[in-house]
Amino acid sequence: MADFSWYIRSPLERALVAGRYGAPGEAGVSLTEIRNFDLVQVMARRGKAAETVNAAKARFGVGAPETPEAVDTTDATLIWSGPDQFLVLSRGGGQRMETLARVFAGLASLSDQSHARALISVSGDKARTMLAKVSSIDLHPEMFPVGTAAATSIDHTSVTLWRGKNRQDGQAVFNLLVFATFAESLWHTMLDSAAEYGVTIAHSEELA
Amino acid sequence: MRGNQANRLAAGGLIDRSTPLSFRFDGKTLSGFQGDTLASALVANGVKLVGRSFKYHRPRGILTAGSEEPNALVELRSGARREPNTKATTAELYEGLEAASQNRWPSLDFDVMAVNRLFAPIFVAGFYYKTFMWPAKFWEAIYEPAIRRAAGLGRAAGIPDPDRYDKAWAHCDVAVAGSGPAGLAAALAAARCGARVILCEEDFVLGGRLLGDGGTIDGLPAAEWIARTLDELAAMPDVRIMTRTTLFGVYDGGTYGAIERVNDHLPVPPEHQVRQRLWRIVAKHCIVAAGAIERPIVFAGNDTPGVMMASAMRSYINRYAAAPARRIALFTNNEDGWRTVEAAIAAGLQVAAVIDGRPDVSPAHRSLAGKGGFPVLNGSVSGVDGGKNGVRKISVSLTGGARAEVEADGLAVSGGWNPAVGLTSHHRGRPKWRDDIAAFVPDGAPPGMVAAGAANGAFGLGACLREGFEAGVAAARDAGRSGSPGSAAIADDEAFSLTPLWHVAGKGKAFVDQQHDVTASDVELAQREGFESVEHLKRYTTLGMATDQGKTSNVAGLAIMAAVSGKSIPETGTTIYRPPYVPVAIGAFAGPHRDENFHATRLTPSHHWAAEQGAVFVDTGLWKRAQWYPLPGEKDWLESVTREVKAVRSGVGFCDVSTLGKIDVHGPDAGAFLDRVYINAFSSLAVGKARYGLMLREDGVVYDDGTTSRLAEDHYFLTTTTAKAGLVMQHLEFCRQVLFPELDVQLTSVSDQWAQFSIAGPKTRDLLKEIVDPAEDLSNEGFPFMGAREVKLRGDLKARLFRISFSGEMAFEISVPARYGEALVRNLLIAGKPFGVTPYGTEALGVMRIEKGHVAGPELNGTTTAADLGLGKMMSTKKDFIGRVMAGREALVAPNRQVVVGIKPTDKARRLRSGAHIVPKGETPGPDNDQGYVTSVCFSPVLDQWIGLGLVERGRARIGEIVRAHDPLRGEEYDVELCNSVFYDPDGGRQRG
Repeated sequence: MADFSWYIRSPLERALVAGRYGAPGEAGVSLTEIRNFDLVQVMARRGKAAETVNAAKARFGVGAPETPEAVDTTDATLIWSGPDQFLVLSRGGGQRMETLARVFAGLASLSDQSHARALISVSGDKARTMLAKVSSIDLHPEMFPVGTAAATSIDHTSVTLWRGKNRQDGQAVFNLLVFATFAESLWHTMLDSAAEYGVTIAHSEELA
Repeated sequence: MRGNQANRLAAGGLIDRSTPLSFRFDGKTLSGFQGDTLASALVANGVKLVGRSFKYHRPRGILTAGSEEPNALVELRSGARREPNTKATTAELYEGLEAASQNRWPSLDFDVMAVNRLFAPIFVAGFYYKTFMWPAKFWEAIYEPAIRRAAGLGRAAGIPDPDRYDKAWAHCDVAVAGSGPAGLAAALAAARCGARVILCEEDFVLGGRLLGDGGTIDGLPAAEWIARTLDELAAMPDVRIMTRTTLFGVYDGGTYGAIERVNDHLPVPPEHQVRQRLWRIVAKHCIVAAGAIERPIVFAGNDTPGVMMASAMRSYINRYAAAPARRIALFTNNEDGWRTVEAAIAAGLQVAAVIDGRPDVSPAHRSLAGKGGFPVLNGSVSGVDGGKNGVRKISVSLTGGARAEVEADGLAVSGGWNPAVGLTSHHRGRPKWRDDIAAFVPDGAPPGMVAAGAANGAFGLGACLREGFEAGVAAARDAGRSGSPGSAAIADDEAFSLTPLWHVAGKGKAFVDQQHDVTASDVELAQREGFESVEHLKRYTTLGMATDQGKTSNVAGLAIMAAVSGKSIPETGTTIYRPPYVPVAIGAFAGPHRDENFHATRLTPSHHWAAEQGAVFVDTGLWKRAQWYPLPGEKDWLESVTREVKAVRSGVGFCDVSTLGKIDVHGPDAGAFLDRVYINAFSSLAVGKARYGLMLREDGVVYDDGTTSRLAEDHYFLTTTTAKAGLVMQHLEFCRQVLFPELDVQLTSVSDQWAQFSIAGPKTRDLLKEIVDPAEDLSNEGFPFMGAREVKLRGDLKARLFRISFSGEMAFEISVPARYGEALVRNLLIAGKPFGVTPYGTEALGVMRIEKGHVAGPELNGTTTAADLGLGKMMSTKKDFIGRVMAGREALVAPNRQVVVGIKPTDKARRLRSGAHIVPKGETPGPDNDQGYVTSVCFSPVLDQWIGLGLVERGRARIGEIVRAHDPLRGEEYDVELCNSVFYDPDGGRQRG
């Protein structure tokens, strides 16, 4: 008998239709879903927080964040997700559980979250204005510079939010990881919030 | 120009005469200009009668020019957008605006209910309570509805609001409420220091009283100074100026509520835009520069159309170039009122007389009167002749006892100014009295908040600018901003000399609260009847309880109370101030959270596939779950569900169970941790096995249940019920972080990581053999009941298989990473096709669990113990666990507890209903004989009758007993038999086979 085909469906695959939405004119907001990524939760074991940070440094060249920050390395982004824990985000196939299990063996507990979240990137002139409708966090550059992260909620939905590297045109980029089963609902909320500024919707297979 | 605008002044004003607007009031087409409010346009058109009052249906006009307006309330717009009780004084005019007067029938001019005035003697304070006492049952049926129809204000639209609303957050160092001289000075000073500033102004133009009063600042006319200031503010990146935005409430931690009327000034919001936006502003400091409200003097006929606050009259003349009257009289007790005379003269209007309560009018004003040729009368207004067409004649009681009459068609009144102390009192700060201005000023403001300018009792323009500047600098410095603020703007301070005057005795009704028709004699009556405390006064007379919250009436009311009770005003005190400062639409508080967006929704990995199949979805918590999958020709849900159950019991079916909470429990102490949170042991569970677990609350009552599998020495995979997924995660985190910090255990929610399906029925293994790699051993020996391990699927995907059963059938649960969920469901359909595989929904799942006697939400209801559920034996005696001690309490182990038992009607054709109470046969139903109730019911296709589970006193000891099911809600009563709760396959052979 023939083998079965195991295709991937992003949680936003139905809701996301690329194109231009909302008010006409130059789009104030870009919403981009990034689909192909690996995401692993790393939680230090009791008394092993410092060693876990060091193990991350040995592997990635930078220590794992110990405060709400997101740190870019050459092949992953390490995002604070709580005391003594962080997420390792990488391109699909980049940092799989098996690889990381060796890095943190005996130091930390790992849990695969690659399918548990959707990754949405928000940018554009009006990105901050739009996010102010759904997030209680002060995203002013003075308070939320590049590399700042937060474990917060958006529209009563738990998210990990961080400011990535600026776009090439200098615009700020806000990334958010939302639980997969909430993703479509949050997507519609964000789209509604952005509509008055004009929105460009896209998806990308790869992390920027 | 359309319409005549007979009272529009030939020049001046902040209106755009190049943009005429046409509007309708009570069906009549009128015109105005861009920059008008509805009120100013009505003034320009000579309209004096705008509404009828709440209780007596007295004719009312326009009293003020701001958000404190008690009288000029209209229904704005029509149809679904009809908006009652809109203040004409703040509603911006737009092309095509439609407004209607309220509380009159058949017309504003001829109002039948004005007959109420004849009965006025009985409509005194407390008349509801005194008059409509007997018979008591008439109150709800007759009196209250009739009174409500006769009294009251506008009518709500009654149909869904077609507009959208949203909410937003803003953050700053300094929030400034009000853009008068103090507010602009504060915002500018703070911004120059480098602070992040938000300036909220409820008006659509910035400037506050400067717009109506003018003045000279830094040698510039006020308008130029405003323009210069706004230019400077606009050039600074971290300054946000929000017009049409009222800061209405002070909440905890420096959070302020504000309502932005984004598109209220347009007939319909532009596409994609909201009507209003509710802001939560988080500010380190807040400067209240909300100004002051001019207060009326209470005298007979003071509600006659044409009687207007003196400052409002200036605003209509100066800001809107609209003359409220041709021949104006002024009644004042202070210097500021005279500015209206100056404005009227400058606009070429006649001044009939000034009635000044003070003996010592300044020489400058006397000379002004001399030049203007009008008398200055020392005394007070004791009556007004006039009616719906406005003021005709004013009676004056002169000091010394003589009387005089003044012919005028408009009367400006100034009783002094009350600082707007609302916001500063929102945290229960009580304003304090200042004798020099005879007014309350802020005291005990919430942390981080200060008042400046008129809101702080500083009425001179120079003082407003200085106070604003100083408050702005101080707030910025405190926020760590060290830039240079420059210097304060300079202006003269006008004299403000006031002799308090609250109430003039006279014949006829003298109104304190015009919106609620509360008169001076009502206040006096309240005192005589013992309602002397201001809080009692307020509730007994309803003074200050209308939509304007007594902005123009509260202080006068308590001054009158003070006078009749022989106390001072500060002794009498103020009532408590609460948010919101102005009415805020409920729709704005709801924001986008209405209809299908009422709350977030969660979709299972197979959701879109199920929708394609035509599944009927049910909301369970936030989830949308497939409830059943109707096939063409099926006539109702029961037929579909029965088919699904039969298909599973005779063949194979699958169901998405991804909604169950899933938690990775990691760490060397994971087993020890689970031993403490579950009543049964998990450290002893072998790797590759699953076990059913039950958790108690600290008080010994059952909390949640689920299956937990051991995937590695230091890795368990725990599942919870759908309903409790989040709560159990919180509970376990609490246990981990607070109760058992010594244990090395880590928790991660993986609920969304896995798509999980239950595959059940005698042909389950046949289906699995199609899809699972042939190398995997699925036999009873290779994969026994309660086994759990990773397997490879055909096509090279790893999955987890758990041999667990909720249905009582041979069953597995299979899980794959969630993004493969849709592929899995489609592949299950392909693999199961030869065996007639049937997707089933939560209804069939429920039927099968009831047939099997498994407990679920209705039985795990927060009152039941493990023993009640028939699971008492699971409670380990070899270890401690949460809830163990408390579960041993006398009442929780009493022999007569209500326990889970099976229930079936003796008449097989009868439908059993959940919620029916169980009563012994022959006893009268009632609390004394109540022995429990039916918790879960279903139609059992296997037994071909309705069956159920119930919680019944000593139920398991009474198997076979016939009792009564008493269902007063549905008016049913019938015999049922108590039976074994496991209706189907009681020895469990099928699930182990």
